[in-house]
Parts: sequence; C-alpha cells; structure tokens
Amino acid sequence: MAETLDDPRSDQQLVEAMAGGDRSALRSLHSRHAPWLLLRLSRRCADPAIVEEVVQDTFLAVWRKPAAYKGSGPVAAWIWGIGIRRLVDQFRRQRRPMVEVAEGMATTPSAEEQLLLGVEHGDLGAALNRLSPELRAVVQATVLDGLTTREAARLLGIPAGTVKTRMMRAKPQLREALL
Amino acid sequence: MSDPATTWHAEPDLLDRYARGDIDHARACSLEAHLLECARCRLALAPAVDTGRLEDSWDGLVAALDAPRPGRMERLLVRLGVREHTARLLAATPTLRLSWLAGVVLALGFAVAAAHGGRGERSLLLFLLLAPLLPVAGVAASFTRGVDPTYDVALAAPMPAFHLLLIRSTAVLGTTMVVAAVAALGLPDLGWIVAAWLVPAVALTVVSLALATFQAPVTAAATVAAVWVGGVLGSEALSDGGLRAFRPGPISSAAFTAGGQLALVAVTILALLVVTSRHDRFEIERTV
Repeated sequence: MAETLDDPRSDQQLVEAMAGGDRSALRSLHSRHAPWLLLRLSRRCADPAIVEEVVQDTFLAVWRKPAAYKGSGPVAAWIWGIGIRRLVDQFRRQRRPMVEVAEGMATTPSAEEQLLLGVEHGDLGAALNRLSPELRAVVQATVLDGLTTREAARLLGIPAGTVKTRMMRAKPQLREALL
Repeated sequence: MSDPATTWHAEPDLLDRYARGDIDHARACSLEAHLLECARCRLALAPAVDTGRLEDSWDGLVAALDAPRPGRMERLLVRLGVREHTARLLAATPTLRLSWLAGVVLALGFAVAAAHGGRGERSLLLFLLLAPLLPVAGVAASFTRGVDPTYDVALAAPMPAFHLLLIRSTAVLGTTMVVAAVAALGLPDLGWIVAAWLVPAVALTVVSLALATFQAPVTAAATVAAVWVGGVLGSEALSDGGLRAFRPGPISSAAFTAGGQLALVAVTILALLVVTSRHDRFEIERTV
C-alpha cells in the first residue's frame, strides 16, 4: 500500500491517466480516497457489507467514467458525489430505509464539549448539535452531503415533503445561532 | 497534491474519534467538509481503516473490473429494480433481444402496410392474424433447445423452471404486445376492431403454454398457430361462400366479435388452470 501513497502525481493527473486506461492510477486513487470514503459512508450506513459494496461501486464508476470529472474542484468532492449517490441507489434497491438516525450522532455533548464547541465553531456548532436527530439528518443530507431533496428522502426513507418541512424547521434554529 | 491555503489541520485525536464514531455532529460535519479539501488530513485519517479491509476492497474492485460487464439491457433492468439474477436470465432471453424485436417490428410493419393497401375491415385481417401469433412464437422460442443459447444454464438455474417460464413468458408477452400496440396506432382507424388482437394474443400464448405441458413447446406453438390461422381464415372464407377470404368487406370471424372475445377470455382462464395444475411438467424435463 505504502508505495502507491507515494505516487507523485496529483489527483487530477491520476484521473487523466485513468482515462488512458492506466490501472496504477486507479490503484493510487483507491489508496488515497477509499479510507475516508469508507469512514464517511459508515457514518451514514450501519451495514459494513453495504458500505464496502458502495465503495467498490464508486471506484468502478470512477474508473469507467473519468471524463465525468469536470476538472474543477477537488477530486475528493467528485468521488464523494458518486459515493453518496451510490449509497442512495443501494437503499432504493433494498427498499428499506437504512439510516436509522445513527446512535453516535444523537449523543448530547458533555458540558466540557459544549464549551469547546462554543470556542471552535461559535454557537452554530452548538445549534447543530441541539437540533433533533431527525432535523439534523436532513440538514446533513442536503447541506453537507449535497443531495437533492428527493435523494435525501430516499437516503433517510422518508417522503420528500417531510424532508422539505424538516429543513424549513431546522433553518430558523440555525439562523438564530448565527445572529 | 494541492493543499488549499489553509493552515488548520485536524488533531490526531479528532481524526481518531471520527474514525471510531465517537464525535458530535458539528465536529463531524466540519471535519468532513475539511477532508474534501485537505489531502494531508485524508492521509492522516487513512491508517484508521484496517489495511486488510482496504486490500479486500481493492481485490474486489479488480475482480469486478476483470469480470465481463453486464449488457445494457441487464443494467437497465437492475436499475429498474429487477434482481440481478432475474435480470441476467431476462437479458439472456433470445426473444427479448433486439434482433427478435426487430423481426417483430418488421412483420407488424408489413401487416400495417397491408392494412393501408386494402379497403374495409378485411384489410386488417393480416394484422389481426399476426399480432397474436408473435408472442406465441416468442415464448416457445425462449424454451427450445437450439434456439435458446441459455437453455442449459436455465435448466441449472437455482429457481424452479416454472418460475423462470413465468418470468420470461410475461416479459416476452409484455414487450411483444407493447410493440404490437404501437404498430396498431399506425392502422387505419376502423373503430375498436384495431384492438381486437389483444385478447387473442393473451389467449393463444396461455393456451400454447398449457399445451406445452403435454408436448414440446414448438409443437404446442405450431398447433396453436395452425388452429388459429385455419380457424380465422376458414370462417372468413365460409362467410364469403367461397375460398376468397381476402375479398374486401367486413370481418366475420367469431374471434373478433364481442362474444368471441369473451369466449377467448374463458379459454384463457381454463388454460391458466391447466398450466398451474400441471406446472410440474416443466420441471421434469430437467432430469432428461
């Protein structure tokens, strides 16, 4: 693994090389990006087998359609866009909502953490943490993960209308923290 | 690797807690946003994932790259929510392939052209005769050694032959009827009779399946086709009082009257009963 992390080419160069059928470029991209993708997807899906399948699907798509990378923005963001949508596809195929608003997210931070949060993120961080797990899941899927309302609905296993209303309820709470 | 002009980097402790899932939402959010931009932190996070797991992921990826890629049809079916093994068996059905469908379109095209060439309801006769026979031929061909390249695979498929037969027959009947329905839109508008092939199409297909529990699928299809063509042309000829079945005029075959269509529905139900009660006949062939 180690030598592929030493690949001197940039992510963009690797994507270009892949278009020419260079499998070592895929190998390097995989060793650079599979770990964080695996971890980030694991926060959105509790089943490790599904996460592994999605990671594999994602890199297959990356290999087959390198031209889909528009050349602007980080390669990691492009990979994430593919990955999260593959995860949504998986949920659709399984026909069951997979994101039981993950337990880890729902823990209320300790008093000490609250203090640290105030320092690090201002009140916005605390406001995010104060949101109910349902609202937070919607904010994460749409704002952070960049999904459309519809995709977020599939990911969370709720109707699209519910995603919209929850987003509308979350917004004033976050806005209040910013003012 | 292009690091943006950021001087902030995640503490090892933060990365560690993120990997373990022991982190509050706001921190996770901000770290995730940062990771998209920062190669250095991504690299620092990588050791948190078990090397064996990453190797497995890579090996799986290589295996998937080297595996034959499913065809366009199969991928479309999977995207539509069909299970993978069903999609493969459907995509391999010879009578769902483009060449077969092209043949169906061509045959129906001739019939439609013939309808425009003639006068009166009789001009539709070729179409009404042909449209119900196409799914019969399609279904029979799906189960015939020599025509179906997946015949042996299907025999070994891990599902009852009867299930496979139902899935394929429904798919063949469905696609053929959609093509025929589109073709029917091109017929001269002569009232409801342009749709009179629908009921016979279903009836003949089910009857041929019922017969196939007694004899070889091709023989069954041929029998059904002969009776159908003979019956319709015969009654047309008789009503004319001669053997000039295609003289311009109204269609008189009972099969295309309201009563006849009802009778065909009854025949369909009867044939369905035969198929379900004798479905084990489709399994026996496996042991041959």
